[in-house]
Amino acid sequence: MNASPRKLTLDEWDDRHEQLRRDGLREPTYGGPLRRHVVRDRNFRLQHLQFDNSPAALRLWNFLLTENQRLHQARANGDKLVGAMKDLGTVPVMAYSLPSMRAFYPDGAWWTPCLMECGDMLLQQAETMGLDSSFCPVRAMLPAFEHGGHFPRPDLLVCSAGAICDDFSAIAQRLEHLGHPILWWEMPRRRQPDSGETACALPGGLSAPKIQVDCVRAELGRVGQALGELAGKHLDDVWLADGIRAANRVRRTLESLRRTVYAAPAAALPALEMLVAEMLAIHFCSDREESIAVLDGLLAEAQSRARRNQFAVSADAARIFWVNPVADLRAMNLLEEIGGRICGTDYMFTHALDLIPEDLPPLEALARAALADPMVGPASDRAARIVRECRANGAEALVVSRIPGASHCAREGEIILQFARREIGIPAIELEISPVCDAMRTGLRSRLQALVEIARDRRPA
Amino acid sequence: MIRAGIDAGSRSIKTVLFDTERKEILASGLADQGVEQERLAAELFARVLKEAGLGRSRISGVVATGYGRHAIGFADTTITEITCHARGVHWLAPSARTIIEIGGQDSKVISLEDGGRVRDFEMNDRCAAGTGRFLEMVAARLEMNWEKLSELGRQSRKPAIISNVCVVFAETEIIGLLAEGKPLPDVVAGVQNAIATRVSALAGRFIAPPVYFTGGVALLPGMARALEEALSCPIHVAPQPQFTGALGAALSDGA
Repeated sequence: MNASPRKLTLDEWDDRHEQLRRDGLREPTYGGPLRRHVVRDRNFRLQHLQFDNSPAALRLWNFLLTENQRLHQARANGDKLVGAMKDLGTVPVMAYSLPSMRAFYPDGAWWTPCLMECGDMLLQQAETMGLDSSFCPVRAMLPAFEHGGHFPRPDLLVCSAGAICDDFSAIAQRLEHLGHPILWWEMPRRRQPDSGETACALPGGLSAPKIQVDCVRAELGRVGQALGELAGKHLDDVWLADGIRAANRVRRTLESLRRTVYAAPAAALPALEMLVAEMLAIHFCSDREESIAVLDGLLAEAQSRARRNQFAVSADAARIFWVNPVADLRAMNLLEEIGGRICGTDYMFTHALDLIPEDLPPLEALARAALADPMVGPASDRAARIVRECRANGAEALVVSRIPGASHCAREGEIILQFARREIGIPAIELEISPVCDAMRTGLRSRLQALVEIARDRRPA
Repeated sequence: MIRAGIDAGSRSIKTVLFDTERKEILASGLADQGVEQERLAAELFARVLKEAGLGRSRISGVVATGYGRHAIGFADTTITEITCHARGVHWLAPSARTIIEIGGQDSKVISLEDGGRVRDFEMNDRCAAGTGRFLEMVAARLEMNWEKLSELGRQSRKPAIISNVCVVFAETEIIGLLAEGKPLPDVVAGVQNAIATRVSALAGRFIAPPVYFTGGVALLPGMARALEEALSCPIHVAPQPQFTGALGAALSDGA
């Protein structure tokens, strides 16, 4: 089963899956050929992607693409479902601390227009609900809530407010107005402690005044109470501490995976699978235990390939640090097609990758982790971390990809580019990638190819 | 050894033959772009070879660049226009530190290091307002060619202010200005200024002198002047600006 790393089309995966089954591949209940996600769920974009050929990648894709079905099944089994919006990594840790409770990420519907090549009309439907194309594609979740057909309606909907992007606030407010009650919790904009203020260390090398940590801790306490009421149990520190340890198990595995793939001289796994893998950090793709198994499989595959000196991307590829997730998954394939590879990422949720402190009271630890969210602090904090990781992983160029309509910080991309140019002097570009980027593919390809050419041209002779 | 560079742009295809030993351009040619990009490029290539009195066997390599580079199947390799314009301009003007290239459907600002290596670049391919497409629209609306357009622009005494950054809506403004009796040269100069303003916004952080202007739009004298005013720095028009991309391709190692 340990074939040399190769990219496969969907057609090729059909054959490969058959072969793997004949060879005795054992799959989880959500396993099967990738083709069915096109036939049954109309995820047409899969027909235009190139996938890694490992069984571990197959499991990852099946895990991702069966999330809605698994959620419906969990509901049928009596599990409580929590829609955790915007915080990208904190409330899910709390929800999974309780038995028979799952958190999911309704905002994740922003990838649905890409996967379905807009065949679901979610974006158009959002427009009729007052959220036009000047808003982030996250607006796709609105008709998904209203008309169903995607994820089940959650038993509790939780969303952070305050220092979050304007787009998301507007979309979530509209959602509540349409009859979906939301438990809001306040997230202050992170700032440096003033002189005389007590400072608290946050994950990721950041700090914030104690008053902000106290505020978030109190807010999360309120969320915890609501989660407990939904579960009919008291969410105490023992459960929370267990939940934090389990979340950290995911984060440690992801850290090992990122180090194995990004920091190595050549990439053992492709950029596309790594993007999906990193996304598991946010809410464990609705199944924490299984996400650990999926990530363990990917890590084992990456380490095995590294040991065998077999890589998914040429060792000569230009080392690109990529900022923000792409609205069209195809862009990750494109980068590798033109001779680039990912050597580091900041997909907007680095706080969900950092370990949650285990030596603090659980709510205090979660408050500190939540405040480390790159989107609730100044863009310069985010830029500094990006530069640090670019240096550590030997990035030769930087890409900041923008999502059309997204506006959590209109000038953030420019700030990151300027910071990177000034501090490390690597070429850097900002790209806008729409949910289906086929029409802009020529221009996109030119920009990325030029960046790769420049990066290679700058290598010492 | 003779190398060929082909720049398959959105409006035209350009070819340059370069002698790497004598370090000189042997021939160049230009043809309109069309649907059958490879056939048009092949015909142009054959014509330029014939005019130069060279057989195909004398060409040691062909590099394609430009928007349609991937359509040129007879090229040995492809390189982006960013790299090629940088190499072409550096060969023509080694002191160049910034290149502004305004093409038919995009515009680019390229920052160069000592030695001509690209430091960074910025590119606009999402909005027609900073590209030759804007001028094409105006030329079509006024029923005149680019040369006449340029000539008119030079006669302007008080350029009109085109306030809209969208070409489609700017067209409405132009119609309005003409209906109000605004002199034609002032409207044309206003359009040139609007393009220059758009490009200067793109160029902002990159501008380091000397700045060289290249691409087909650089042939319009009024454009360089408009850019000088928008950027507050001297603008040098590259020699044979429409051929710098093809020249850079011919100079490239991949050939």
